[in-house]
Amino acid sequence: MKLSLNWIKDFVDLPAELDLKRLAYDLTMSTVEVEGMEELARRYDGIIVGVIGEVLPHPNADKLRICRVDIGGETKDIVCGGSNLEGGMKVVVATPGAFVRWHGEGEPVEIKNAKLRGVESFGMICASVEVGMDGLFPAAEEHEIMDLSSLDVAAGTPLAEALGLDDYILEIDNKSMTNRPDLWGHYGIARELAALYDLPLKPIPAYVPETEVPFDIRILDTERCPRYIGSRIEGLCVKDAPFEMRSRLWKVGLRPINALVDVTNYVMLAVGQPTHVFDADMIKGHIEVRRAKDGETLGLLNDKELKLTPDDLVIADAEEAVALAGVMGGAKDSVLPDTKDVILEVANFDAKGVRRTAIRYDNRTESSARYEKAIDPERCDQALSLAMKIFKELYPNMKVTAFTDCYREHLERKEIDVPLEWLDRRLGMRIPKEIVERKLGTMGFEVTYTDDEMHVVVPTWRSTGDVGIKADIMEEVARMYGYDNFEATTITASFEGAINQLDEDLVRKVKEYLALRCDMQEIFTYPWMSEEFVKATLPSTDGVLALSTPPSPEEKYLRSSMIPNICRAIVKNEHNYDSFGIFEEAKVFLDRDYTSVYPNEELPRQERRLGFAVAGSPEKAEELFRQAKGIVGSMPRYTHQEPFTFERIEKPYWSDDAAWLNICLGGKKIGDLGLISRKAAQGCGIKVLTAALAEIDLDSLVPFRSRTNRYEHIPEFPENTFDISFLVDGSVKWDEMKSAILGKKTEGSLLKDVVFVDEYRGRQIPDGKKSVTVRLVIGSSEKTLTGAEIESVADSVMRKITHVMGAEVRSK
Amino acid sequence: MIKEKLEQIRKDAEAALADAGVNVEALRIKYLGKKGELTAVLRGMGNLTPEERPVIGQLANKVRAEIEQMLQKKKEEAEAAAFGVSPDFDYSLPGVAPRSGGLHPITQMCYDLNDAFRSMGFEIFGGPEITSEYYAFDNLNFPPNHPARESMDTYWIEGHDTGSASDKLCLRPHLTGDSVRYMQTHKPPYRFVYPGRVYRNETTDSHHERAFFQYEALVVDKEFTFTAGKVMIKSILSKVFGKDVPVRMRAGFFPFVEPGFEIDMGCQICGGKGCSVCKHVGWIEIMPGGTPHPNVLRAAGLDPDEYTGFYVNVGLDRLVMMRYGIDDVRLFHSTDLKFLKQFC
Repeated sequence: MKLSLNWIKDFVDLPAELDLKRLAYDLTMSTVEVEGMEELARRYDGIIVGVIGEVLPHPNADKLRICRVDIGGETKDIVCGGSNLEGGMKVVVATPGAFVRWHGEGEPVEIKNAKLRGVESFGMICASVEVGMDGLFPAAEEHEIMDLSSLDVAAGTPLAEALGLDDYILEIDNKSMTNRPDLWGHYGIARELAALYDLPLKPIPAYVPETEVPFDIRILDTERCPRYIGSRIEGLCVKDAPFEMRSRLWKVGLRPINALVDVTNYVMLAVGQPTHVFDADMIKGHIEVRRAKDGETLGLLNDKELKLTPDDLVIADAEEAVALAGVMGGAKDSVLPDTKDVILEVANFDAKGVRRTAIRYDNRTESSARYEKAIDPERCDQALSLAMKIFKELYPNMKVTAFTDCYREHLERKEIDVPLEWLDRRLGMRIPKEIVERKLGTMGFEVTYTDDEMHVVVPTWRSTGDVGIKADIMEEVARMYGYDNFEATTITASFEGAINQLDEDLVRKVKEYLALRCDMQEIFTYPWMSEEFVKATLPSTDGVLALSTPPSPEEKYLRSSMIPNICRAIVKNEHNYDSFGIFEEAKVFLDRDYTSVYPNEELPRQERRLGFAVAGSPEKAEELFRQAKGIVGSMPRYTHQEPFTFERIEKPYWSDDAAWLNICLGGKKIGDLGLISRKAAQGCGIKVLTAALAEIDLDSLVPFRSRTNRYEHIPEFPENTFDISFLVDGSVKWDEMKSAILGKKTEGSLLKDVVFVDEYRGRQIPDGKKSVTVRLVIGSSEKTLTGAEIESVADSVMRKITHVMGAEVRSK
Repeated sequence: MIKEKLEQIRKDAEAALADAGVNVEALRIKYLGKKGELTAVLRGMGNLTPEERPVIGQLANKVRAEIEQMLQKKKEEAEAAAFGVSPDFDYSLPGVAPRSGGLHPITQMCYDLNDAFRSMGFEIFGGPEITSEYYAFDNLNFPPNHPARESMDTYWIEGHDTGSASDKLCLRPHLTGDSVRYMQTHKPPYRFVYPGRVYRNETTDSHHERAFFQYEALVVDKEFTFTAGKVMIKSILSKVFGKDVPVRMRAGFFPFVEPGFEIDMGCQICGGKGCSVCKHVGWIEIMPGGTPHPNVLRAAGLDPDEYTGFYVNVGLDRLVMMRYGIDDVRLFHSTDLKFLKQFC
């Protein structure tokens, strides 16, 4: 919202010495965010009024002419293409150094002395659009320049001075006052400034009706329309409003139209209360405020044709709807060029209803925006009074011939008791009574004291939802006293022991393990999944939740598995890297197990999960799988939690038939690990790389309460290694070999461990077989073993394996 | 005879050393060790005549010195040759970088703040991302027709988008509902943070996202003035920016606080002088905050006359953007490693 400082000064006398930067700061700190403060005249630096003397033809151009222009004390030649140039005309001259917008478009450009088709031109004679004044001085046709001949000013007068633009425009962030219906006009802001600076606020005297003749008004829905004032005014006509009024509207961003319409806008911007005028001749019989009939039609001022619903409130005459209440007037019955008599509407409508209607037809207006904030019905008095006063000034012969104010149930002012001890405690200090009383008083609050309490009666304009409890009063006091004037106080609290959140710490350890030890990058994805990835990687969408209004039709499903979005991230990066690892920790949402953890709601199952991928060349698929398995397998050890086991219980839908495992904890499946199947990869559009994927339920992890691994003595005597290659059946699994080799571990066994070295299939190995190289770790805690002792351990392993597994020893 | 032997040892040693590799210790033992050849020869000195002894003794010492010198020379040569590195070795070749995974820049910021708040005795809490309307709005004093409830701002869940506030489910539009959950299940006084993702149905551009990350903190106690909130805010900012940052609290309105504040920090780009980033005012709006509204405390089962407190709610995306000068909020969810790897 834009505000004119001069307009505010109509209602409060701001001291001349008041620093405007200070004003903007104070208003921002206490009330609303002032986003900008512009000195209007600065826009017109170097732009002056010139008086055209002779108009000469241009030697080289038909459409251009050379004007001899008196710019105050000297005469300059200015080349101009204006269609309405005449000797004696007062025009706007942008002198070199001034900024104008060429033809009203683009960024402002600096004017320089220039030759136009070979003729020197001192600056430029401007069209209104070029100085941003087309709203105030509309051009009848495109090449018309702005005519100031009606002004009684001398040549050379700065334009800003000639038009009385010595004003400042405040730009207020609308978002910062959505809760304050009282601030949506100059008067409301003036009230805040009066309270801030302890100045008197000028009252708006009430209008005294000058006729006893009633106007027939019927409110059929008093809930949606608590108040309606209708007055018939005769003896008006459509003409331009006075310059000062038009200028004020223009300064705050409204386009002046004609005096009748301008008055309504002017009143709204002054006191924040919308008003409307109907052409009295077009209103048949009475006025009624009622719900629209289903399917009833109404043509609006902006040419929209609406088909209404019974939830819409309309203003109607005896025959049909004539306006959408609180939103916009109808085209047929509003001010027309030959309007002489009007019905002036000053009314109050229910905020929520206006909002619903404005949104329903995507037709939000300055009026609906104000009603939506919940204006108090009492404001109608100010608007009526101001409107009548201006009408009388503009039309001294006008007559109010009928008048009715329908206001049955008056708005109740809120009353609040504020214990003084409570106020002091919450403020952290005592603010003197006089200050509290003065600040609240200026803002319209009535304050009375008992011994230990303050009784506050809230003004109507703050009683529609804004202020209602004692915390609100405390806020009023604090903000007007000035938040800057409160010292920051320290926080004190009792110590009740260290915070120990093992689950929270574990998730962080897991993420740090993946990022810092396992070379993986954390990613964030959206909580929804894209349909093509869902199709490729999940068996179905049964039990998957969806959004009512998804960001796009293909993205309606909510994350039920980490895999689809991880795959999408692989696609995003596979062209930029030969190999990479990514992981994400996020919630998955499942349409089942609805439970009520907190009162008054039942929520679906939501699990905190981890998903990751190690992506690389398809030739290294098996290696990728082992890499992923290593990451999962080592995780418990490095992150201090109960260890996992790998089982084969249920193949993940997205995985390769052979390369997959389930991750288990305490016999329960908590996740999957596998190589992505070719089919799933193709479905996802993974073209270059392949990947091993994993998904783990983080809520199932069990953190150790403290470290649990025990120190082991460092071997006193050297340990020896002994490599053996076995030829075994291709289907033999390492797990089987390992347990066969180690057998039952006994105290004092010289075979300490067996380690996988490599596996080989191919040349020299018969079909259906593979060669597996193992490394035996052999040692004793009592002595250094001799070569013969080592050989004997190795020999017994070889015998055992050839016997048990039908393996052959290839080499040792 | 013995003279020839000594001469022979010297020659043998010379030849052996010429062929030897880097490790010459074995040769030293062979020739000069206690059981070495030279020692063996010297043991035979007892058979010599007193006249021969000094002569041979002198010769033996000379041979020992020569061999030692040869050994030393060989050792030095071997050390100089090191591991076969060429004298032209290009020391300017790039180093082999360590493996570089990393946490998301927002996670890093979140952990920084967790550490700061933990050190002040705050607990970390997390609630469900799908919430009922009841916890998203009703508990937080949002009036029944508040615009934020409408679909244009909130992602409602299909099949759960009608009915009472308890029946309607949505992706949480803010974290504040979790504060009530925490208070309902813990005993006051409270001191906790609850970071997490929130979702709004918005049109996206470089400064607007549908999914973003917030960080809220709440203190609730019997004696707590709103001015103490400033301490919380300063703690956050000094952690994030590594220095004291000017802070101002100004009037602001949010349904769940009363009084409510917009909290601004001094612009870090221009130092408060005014620049395009801070729209020439020297301050940047970074978070809302305020005293919990009595209705919120009531929803949590507390008596608002007895308890009060202070909320702050930080948009982490925005703080991270300021920390690194990131100009497009959508990059956070881009999964683009070219972006994410910059923050390892």
